[in-house]
Amino acid sequence: MDANETARGHPGEGARTLGAMGRRLMGWYGILGFLALWQLAPLLGLCDRRFIPPPSEIGAEALVLMGRGELFVHAATSAQRALLGLAAAVALALPLAALMSGFLPRLTRFLAPLVALLSGINPFALFPLFILLFGVGEKAKFAIIFWSSLFPILGAAINGIAGCDPLLLKAARSMGAKRAVVFLKVSVPAALPSIMVGLRLGATTAFLFLIAAEMLAANTGLGWLVHNSAMNNYIPRLYVGAVSIAAMGLALAFLIDRLEGFLLDYKEEVRAS
Amino acid sequence: MKRIGGFFGDSFYRFGSIVLFVLAWQTLCSTGLAPGTFVASPAVIAETLAKWAVNGFLARHGLISLSRALYGFLLAVAVGVPLGFLLGGWFKAAGRILDPLLKFLGQFNPFALFSVFMLIFGLGETSKVAMIFWVSLWPILHNASLGVRTVDPLFVKLARSLGLSRPRILWRIVVPSSAPYLFSGLRQASGTAFFMLIPAEMLGAARGLGWLIINAQINYQIPQLYAGTAIIVAIGLAIDALFRFLEGQVVRWREKAAV
Repeated sequence: MDANETARGHPGEGARTLGAMGRRLMGWYGILGFLALWQLAPLLGLCDRRFIPPPSEIGAEALVLMGRGELFVHAATSAQRALLGLAAAVALALPLAALMSGFLPRLTRFLAPLVALLSGINPFALFPLFILLFGVGEKAKFAIIFWSSLFPILGAAINGIAGCDPLLLKAARSMGAKRAVVFLKVSVPAALPSIMVGLRLGATTAFLFLIAAEMLAANTGLGWLVHNSAMNNYIPRLYVGAVSIAAMGLALAFLIDRLEGFLLDYKEEVRAS
Repeated sequence: MKRIGGFFGDSFYRFGSIVLFVLAWQTLCSTGLAPGTFVASPAVIAETLAKWAVNGFLARHGLISLSRALYGFLLAVAVGVPLGFLLGGWFKAAGRILDPLLKFLGQFNPFALFSVFMLIFGLGETSKVAMIFWVSLWPILHNASLGVRTVDPLFVKLARSLGLSRPRILWRIVVPSSAPYLFSGLRQASGTAFFMLIPAEMLGAARGLGWLIINAQINYQIPQLYAGTAIIVAIGLAIDALFRFLEGQVVRWREKAAV
């Protein structure tokens, strides 16, 4: 970015910062324009405000729900479910991947098609099955999140460990590093970017399915809030739920971004130089 | 002899675990370790599927689901590809302004919107098709615009200096160069379309495969539930395999260049 700017030769320091600011704001113009259009649309008669209420109405409803503490309860419930299932999936997937590809490569090769088959399964097709086996309570929700995030993380971790540059492994081994040391110091850091990709994918899928699971069978959570509002034809609350879900999804993505930046800081440096 | 051994070894690695899994499942069921009230054995699933195939039940629900997914997907292709090309190639400033908004909308949880779609489009086919359209639009749009943006400007300049007309530049240079991205977008979208259709049919439908399994669960019809699940899984995997195959066929030249 910097090199580009100097190459283009901006006249002065002030113009450069102004340009940078404009570029940074560029992203917001679209969103602000969209919100403005949304706010004005019912007034201009472009849509029915009963079905698509303007943002101001949704904001007012959100404040009411927040004041009663309801929104927080539902959001916390959803977040707890998502994080619990995700944490359990990570806790199982990473050691399993390490064990499989680090120490049992033949077994991994043997099991790879089965893992691919299982990870290709639409978690939704399994949803009625989970309800049947685990009931409608928290366990079924936990199971569906765990299942839908387990396979992306497991697959990514196995691929990441397998995709490590053999030269690095040989170099470490030729310097007399023990197997465990090679694994911890070479294989794991090499696999981290891939693991983060898997984690991101797993988290996105898990959150998606959490909301749907809450819509199908729950009496708390943001998914339930949306579904219940739809059933009761309480439109502004429906939109509050939908926006909260979007916000939570973005927050989850942001958290993973932060984690990635923290774990892969060496990669960032390479990119910047 | 060695080649035969290699062949057997290969298919052992390719199918061994799956065969073993099915056999273990069957054994657990027939020995009674997995209770029949909860788990249907592979044999029972196969029997149910065969019965459905004969009496046309499978074709009826399967075709409805597939046609919903197909309509939504085709609509998304018809809107997403041209829009992506326009935003990525011709109106770059508009593309830059709209990019964050489009990203946000693409990340918007489609289930939260499904209720809105039902409100606006009703309980009929339209809301299901709208949902599929929505979820498959974003990967197509994103990848189409990304593909156009990664076209080597040198090629475009060269073509222009050789006096090629704009439609010809589009067809001979932009489309082939962005084909890999386009296809990866199409594959993602086709997967998502079928993925999302199932819960959509569970939430509001009276026909289709999603309805089939949720109905089987509510009525405690274990063989039907497992058979329906199996067929959904099979169709999902088949769609993915089909698009991988198509991708390989169309984008073959790139493979060679990479080697």
